Amino acid sequence: MINYLKPILIFIPILIIQLVVIPLISVYEIVPQLILLLLVYYTLIGGQIYGMILGFIFGLFFDLFSNGVLGASALAMTISMFIVGYFYSENRITENISTYLFLFYLFISSVIYFLIYSEVGNFNPDTKLRVILFEGTFLPAVYTTLFGILLVVFQSKRKFE
Amino acid sequence: MINFAQKILYQFKEYFILLFLVLICLLLISNSENSKAKKLKAFAIANFAVVEKLSSSFISLFVKDESIDELKKQNAILMLELEKVRKAEKENEELREMLSIKDTSSYNLIPTNIVSKLTNKFQGNFVIDKGSNDGIIKGMPVINTKGLAGIVMDVTENFSVVKTLYNTSLNIAVNIKRTNVNGILNFNGRNLIVKNIPTTYDVKEGDEVVTSDFSTAFPPSIPIGVIEKKELNMLGLLHTLYVKPFSDVNTSHFLFVIKVVPSKQINNLEMNLIKKP
Repeated sequence: MINYLKPILIFIPILIIQLVVIPLISVYEIVPQLILLLLVYYTLIGGQIYGMILGFIFGLFFDLFSNGVLGASALAMTISMFIVGYFYSENRITENISTYLFLFYLFISSVIYFLIYSEVGNFNPDTKLRVILFEGTFLPAVYTTLFGILLVVFQSKRKFE
Repeated sequence: MINFAQKILYQFKEYFILLFLVLICLLLISNSENSKAKKLKAFAIANFAVVEKLSSSFISLFVKDESIDELKKQNAILMLELEKVRKAEKENEELREMLSIKDTSSYNLIPTNIVSKLTNKFQGNFVIDKGSNDGIIKGMPVINTKGLAGIVMDVTENFSVVKTLYNTSLNIAVNIKRTNVNGILNFNGRNLIVKNIPTTYDVKEGDEVVTSDFSTAFPPSIPIGVIEKKELNMLGLLHTLYVKPFSDVNTSHFLFVIKVVPSKQINNLEMNLIKKP
């Protein structure tokens, strides 16, 4: 039986940090998405379906509390966890979450997430594609991946201990 | 047959679950502006904002200085009054005999703190710590000390959601002060732009952009920014104006809601325009 309670309990403080603290460290309105860190971590531990369901739940709560377009984050997180789920392997869980491979998975999921979220959340048809791709997708994905380094360092320390 | 269906369902369960979740998401997105969805969001924000307020007040210990709140309010009032005086002066010149055409009553400002921000590149939304209990209603304009910041889009008892200038779904009727040219300002994901201004109109870089008299959502002459550059469209008949805003909305910690009650009938029409650009 896969546990949903633990990630949900961790999700609550991360959601608060995402909405209250993270905007303070935005660079030119580019903000990282910490919730993705949690999601990628649990998808690599629990698998594709587990990740998708968590992605949907977390995304929905993020939409509700951030007053975004209802369903936009849920959609983006579900699809991005579906993709990350392909990297799940029962025999390589420790390697996936405690090496720099994790950053690669996080970057891929961030690109997919921000691409979908930017497209769904953007109401202006005049927005140029390069703005969506570069400022709306690539830069936030890089910023999110930088935060992943902390998690990887923490996990590798735990592994050695 | 049932066995076969079960086998297929089991073999491709990831895809079926994905399809099911995506369908729910699309259903939610299409009903995002639905009144029930809005009520649900307002309920969620009202409850969560209490937690956010506690967290942000802890953080604001490092950034907030209570003693300057009143000065900031005074500054905002003076900024608005100054714009009114400037406008009145121009009208005096133009109409000579006619004085005080516009409403001269002072603006009633409600000072608020920003509780949380959603600084997504395309959806600038803030949650502020005042709501219907403080007299805020949907559609009230929001300013900071330098100029227009946004509009109140949702209100709960103690909190409100503000749609900022940096929201791609917000369209504002604006006026170029020097030549009285009107246009619609919106955010394209990178800049604030005013599109489709005929090249024959006298518009220069550095001209000040303010809210238009035509807007009933916003009082006239609230400063927004200056024209940074103008770009010719492909046919060479129209300009796109790039506006540099006076107020750095995303770094603000305090905002002021202008307590104006616009005409309900016209306001409803304008709010529909904001919802469906």
